[in-house]
Amino acid sequence: MVVGLGLSSAEKSYIAGGIAVDLRGDGRGRHHFRDFSIDTSIIPQANGSARLRLGGTDVIASVKAELCAPPPGRPHHGKLEINVECSPTAAPEFEGRGGEELSMDLSRALQRSFLGGASGAGAAIDLASLVVLEGKLCWMLYFDGLVLSSDGNLLDALSIAMKAALSNCGLPKVEITSGTNPEDDADFELNEEEFTPVDTSRFPVIVTLTKVGKHYIVDATAEEESQMTAAVSVAVNKKGSICGLTKRGGTGLDPSVLLDMISVAKRVSQTLITSIDAEISAAESRHDDQ
Amino acid sequence: MGDAMRGAHFRLSPAQKQRMLVAQERCRDAAGSVHSSAFVNVGDTIPVDYENGYLRGHGTQVVDGQLLATVCGVVERVNKLVSVRPLRARYNPETGDVVVGRVTEVAPKRWKVDVNSRQDAQLMLSAVNLPGGIQRRRTATDELNMRDLFTENDLISAEVQTLHQDGSLHLHTRSLKYGKLESGQLVKVAPYLIKRLKQHFHQLKQYGVQMILGCNGYVWISALPQSTPDIATDQKRANTESLEAAAGTADSQNVEISRELRERICRLANVVRVLGACGFLIHPDSIVDTYEASLSWGTELKHMFSGEFFVKVVEREAEQRSKKG
Repeated sequence: MVVGLGLSSAEKSYIAGGIAVDLRGDGRGRHHFRDFSIDTSIIPQANGSARLRLGGTDVIASVKAELCAPPPGRPHHGKLEINVECSPTAAPEFEGRGGEELSMDLSRALQRSFLGGASGAGAAIDLASLVVLEGKLCWMLYFDGLVLSSDGNLLDALSIAMKAALSNCGLPKVEITSGTNPEDDADFELNEEEFTPVDTSRFPVIVTLTKVGKHYIVDATAEEESQMTAAVSVAVNKKGSICGLTKRGGTGLDPSVLLDMISVAKRVSQTLITSIDAEISAAESRHDDQ
Repeated sequence: MGDAMRGAHFRLSPAQKQRMLVAQERCRDAAGSVHSSAFVNVGDTIPVDYENGYLRGHGTQVVDGQLLATVCGVVERVNKLVSVRPLRARYNPETGDVVVGRVTEVAPKRWKVDVNSRQDAQLMLSAVNLPGGIQRRRTATDELNMRDLFTENDLISAEVQTLHQDGSLHLHTRSLKYGKLESGQLVKVAPYLIKRLKQHFHQLKQYGVQMILGCNGYVWISALPQSTPDIATDQKRANTESLEAAAGTADSQNVEISRELRERICRLANVVRVLGACGFLIHPDSIVDTYEASLSWGTELKHMFSGEFFVKVVEREAEQRSKKG
């Protein structure tokens, strides 16, 4: 995914050799995630925001809620939109239009995992919960991701940051003053003091397995990513169900390898979600203390 | 990418943060550490003797008759010259420095090498020895076969030969110890953390590991090189037609590295990364010391980027500094 990373052939074979003996350059095994930390409520204007630092990778996610009319033909649904941007400060190759391709890739992969089908079925959030007044008024959630610094595994980092931003998100209470009749336009008042949280229990995290040589690894660094032959990103929710699947990279995968990868992703995701939840609540309590 | 400078981020619990603050305070208070007034921020006034006059050096500017710092760093005074040396800067080369660099380009009769300086360094074909220490014979085929020696992205160790007025620098590898680097890993730290010493090649025989502390902040940690090739074969090789033959045999590529050796290399690399993140000097003694400490604490390799290990390293340093005082 990250381009322009030159490694000598000796380094390449050292990396591959390390992965083969289950000892990577920074001391991790093949299926270990790097330590990460989460900060929440970092953008005052957003309804919810979070910053995730995972080794040298640094991303910000925010959730902005807006009231709007439900999508045509689906009066019981709210809307979600996901967009990712790569900051030119993250890497020289992101300058100008350089980051666009990567931004598109990341946005698309996140959309595929979080938005569900065209009907909204299988979305990461229960879309019905975003309805304020059936057929007239619903919440539209804009998820924005910003890549500040990249040391590999951006997709997983963004998914964790978005999960944290969503659990940090509060929707202001809406009081409908008039327009409950089917013909009238809705009239409402926003109560900016009372907030209702969004249910995040369905929200999946993405675990990317990067295949280097004969083996696959979790949470690859930029160096390791430069050596990948294929990568599979699996979105898994708390229950352990697969919500989305994306494959990148040139070479094909044997179906049996793919199944192995999915089961590893599932196992890794369960411990990951536990530690994410712990980190989020730690971040929230830090915030309450201040 | 993967800079230790930038990549360093440690998750600290509130209790660890508190311990960290205490340890940092102790480090600062310890005798022998630089007085905090020596550090300036952008826009800070630098106290100078206005009556006797002073010379305005790099990183300073006179505003309304006051001398202000224009960069963050340490105030340095040489007689009347007052300058500020920025800490977070690119590598400032000096003749004779040992550096580790990456070849970025193969140009006519020279290689361009990234050494974390403002410009890429130049390594002339006339400034290299062939592997095994053979003198190169100037032939036209040599120039065509430069990639047999070093190719793009190769890591090499070299010495700064000359600096030029325009900021460019030339390297040379005219010694047995310099040349292509293999069977190991590169760690990048801030250049100011590596002090110029007599020795920059360190053979840690007890671990079977070699470290090259490049003055440019690039640290190479690898398996000990194979025993130096004996003279007889060298002589024989010198007699055969130069470059291709020599490069071909010396191109050993990563020899098989055992898992134990890999673990030691990795632990040393992680120690250098953590020391770099703490802003402590990267010195062979401090590396070995922290390495042994990490073993005695029973810190697992994968937990060396945890907040706990980070705090422990800082506390240990605080302990040692206050003992000295």
